[in-house]
Amino acid sequence: MIAASMRQGSAGDAVDGVVPRHVAEPTDANELAATLQAASRDTQTTVLRGSGTKLGWGRTPSVVDLVVSTAKLNTLLIHRHGDMTATAHGGVTLAQLNRELARHGQWLPIESAFDAATIGGIVATNDSGPVRHRYGTPRDLLIGVTLALTDGRLVKAGGHVVKNVAGYDLGKLVSGSFGTFGAIVDATFKLLPIPQASATLDASYDDGEVLARDAMRVSTSQLEPMAFDVMLDGAQYRLRLLFASSPEAVSAQVDSARRLLSRPSTVVTGDPEMDVWTDQVRSPWAGTGAVIRFGWLPAKLAEITTLMHDVSQVAGSIIMCGRVSVGAGLMRVDGDVGTQAALVQRLRSSVWVGNVAVLRASPDLKQHVDVWGPASSSAGATRALKNMFDPAGILNAGRGPI
Amino acid sequence: MDERLVEEFCRIAGAENVLREPIKLLTYECDALPHLRQTPALVVLPGSAAEVQAIVRLCGEEGVPFVARGHGTGLSGGALPVPGGVVISLARLNRVLDVDIPNRRVTVEPGVTNLEITRQVAPYGYYYAPDPSSQQVCSIGGNVAENSGGAHCLKYGFTVHHILAVEAVLPNGQLVQIGSPLPDAPGPDLLGLIVGSEGTLAVVTKVIVRILRKPESVQTLLAAFDSISEAGAAVSDIIGAGIIPAAVEMMDAVAIRAAEAAVHPNFPPADTILIVELDGPSSEVRELFAVVEDTCRRAGATTIEVAPDEAQRMRIWKGRKAAFAAMGRVSPNYYVQDGVVPRTKLPEVLGRIAALSQRSGLPIGNVFHAGDGNLHPLICYDERIPGQATLAEEVAGEILTYCVEAGGSITGEHGVGADKKDYMPRMFSDDDLDVMQRLRDAIDPRRLCNPGKVLPTPRLCGEVPGPYRQHPVEAAGLADRF
Repeated sequence: MIAASMRQGSAGDAVDGVVPRHVAEPTDANELAATLQAASRDTQTTVLRGSGTKLGWGRTPSVVDLVVSTAKLNTLLIHRHGDMTATAHGGVTLAQLNRELARHGQWLPIESAFDAATIGGIVATNDSGPVRHRYGTPRDLLIGVTLALTDGRLVKAGGHVVKNVAGYDLGKLVSGSFGTFGAIVDATFKLLPIPQASATLDASYDDGEVLARDAMRVSTSQLEPMAFDVMLDGAQYRLRLLFASSPEAVSAQVDSARRLLSRPSTVVTGDPEMDVWTDQVRSPWAGTGAVIRFGWLPAKLAEITTLMHDVSQVAGSIIMCGRVSVGAGLMRVDGDVGTQAALVQRLRSSVWVGNVAVLRASPDLKQHVDVWGPASSSAGATRALKNMFDPAGILNAGRGPI
Repeated sequence: MDERLVEEFCRIAGAENVLREPIKLLTYECDALPHLRQTPALVVLPGSAAEVQAIVRLCGEEGVPFVARGHGTGLSGGALPVPGGVVISLARLNRVLDVDIPNRRVTVEPGVTNLEITRQVAPYGYYYAPDPSSQQVCSIGGNVAENSGGAHCLKYGFTVHHILAVEAVLPNGQLVQIGSPLPDAPGPDLLGLIVGSEGTLAVVTKVIVRILRKPESVQTLLAAFDSISEAGAAVSDIIGAGIIPAAVEMMDAVAIRAAEAAVHPNFPPADTILIVELDGPSSEVRELFAVVEDTCRRAGATTIEVAPDEAQRMRIWKGRKAAFAAMGRVSPNYYVQDGVVPRTKLPEVLGRIAALSQRSGLPIGNVFHAGDGNLHPLICYDERIPGQATLAEEVAGEILTYCVEAGGSITGEHGVGADKKDYMPRMFSDDDLDVMQRLRDAIDPRRLCNPGKVLPTPRLCGEVPGPYRQHPVEAAGLADRF
């Protein structure tokens, strides 16, 4: 099965070290659907790829017959700025989309650590950043999808309006699905106005309990930051608060927040402010260490800082960035595989922590730990859906999470 | 239903919690869409998740269809019983299990009312955001099934944005957790699929909701306009200025007249009334509210009333929320429609609705969530005049066509249920609907879980949309429609 847009796989196409036999780059939705249909008919193990920035997330595949790339499905289809919605092909990058939306003072409030991350990949992984505090994850902003399925059909769910309860929300179902149900041809999002002004408060701590107390004071106040983050880096702890609104409201909130904090804080604006948040988003991904995603009960932040302190004593260099009010974070641990594996087990056995997933890991580490952790009690239902959408079991086969 | 089976249900839930006398079954014949009625064979009121599980298992073994029901306030017949089937009423599962203020979450059973959650957390300065108009009486389980919205979902989103996890019984009888109390559970968003699935994929037995800190300040204004297009321009300009109000509501002259007749909110005389509410930090609300006022004035507002206190704010909202039920004061019967259009298409679609009203001779009132384009046209008619009920139904259907043609939806918040399933093909292709049906069959292969809802089936004899009739909870003054 060699279509016009298909070529031999090369080392650059490797999925977690496994070189695919072929790579297809369909140029339109129908070709994408036909490619999946043919792959399903021939039981070709298939991995979907946007820009490949998160392609290593998941278990190591035993074989990859085909990588299907959405790189050529890269059109921003429509920006309905009056309605504050936009529809883009799955292969459009978040950066490209937000550049276009900014022309009308709007944005899709999602952040990625990766410049080339595509809309399709972001939805398929439901990956998010600090402004999740206010806007949620991609699934909360997604209002419609078109999917290409393994039976060759193109189907849609949701629509172009922000309020809509007609039919099953397949957009939610593919959020976090890692391309296991079908390919995201296009996605429609609700958009937000770019705030007129912003300022960031950056406060450092050397004591996790003091940080946690300050965090709780902010949480229980009526301040409404756009992002509310913590960073733990060695013995240096930080709280970072982003306020974005009208100019007066920003400065009033910054003043109120400073009064709540027990430690001196710096007000950062302009380009340095961008740098703070770039740092917050990218630090966990710097270097080559294992990156672990985990959740915690928000009120247990003090316990989390203690846990991070304890593991850094054993594991050496670690860095953790997270969302204070959500209880969601990423941790990078350098060090050898034994140390990394022990850390994953340690997190999984902690009563304060849950949903520990290893996103970036060496093949060696993946031999030692299951990157996804234990399955949920609803996994049976998810598997039934998987069998329905992909009866040949070709999509992201064996890589999880299902 | 044969005696052996009835005894089985009695053994599971206790004989006192199994209803089969016709008089007791009457309550369960319909939800708040009373023209669709069906007597169930049996109503069971389980007292625990384990009992729900046993009931669903028994239904599965015996091939008996079942319909979960909260407090029966749904507006699309989502809880309409199935002939020969069982209604599982979750009214007894009404305990608040955990109020966790530090972690900003509350765990409840499905029969707890929406407003009860806010009541539980209000003393601490928190609230549960989704606020359907029936919030005093509607159940959180029903909210999960319908993905309920409310006046404030423009800024705060719907039920699906405020649920962390549910415990549910799947049609195969398995009791599972869907979603996670902690963020980022790996895998597809099954929770997002279940929320809004209208009771067709699972019976929810426990819900963990997120609560929000009360905003520091709330400001509400009412602006009167001489035309709906001026009011529409004001809405566009407010949102174009980068302001996301907590709520933006519009009422036309027909709706204003009805509201005045019913609850005397003392609205200024106007062709169109716009209600705008901002909330958030005081500094932000103060600054942006001035922009909103100015925008309304420039768009041609003839009067602007700013609510000086909570009592006046409530007066404005009372007038707005009473508009549906108030139609009874100006028309013998009326039909409530729920459709959505992209906000910029509001003037065009409202124009088409006005022309349709002229052409059909039926007055149509408009009350709607202008911020998100969610229309609620109220089609007035008199069922005593032969043919008017059918005409009203046709008019209501025509309005949905306008919504779909404008790129919108056949329902923004009331759900598809039994009422609108035959309109689904106007919005979705055969392939779209086939995939939805197959998805449903993957979870419920025997088609026992709330069958006959959401997806189109040939319409049954006598099953036609019909007039609005006041629901008992409305008559008792416990709820308003939205």
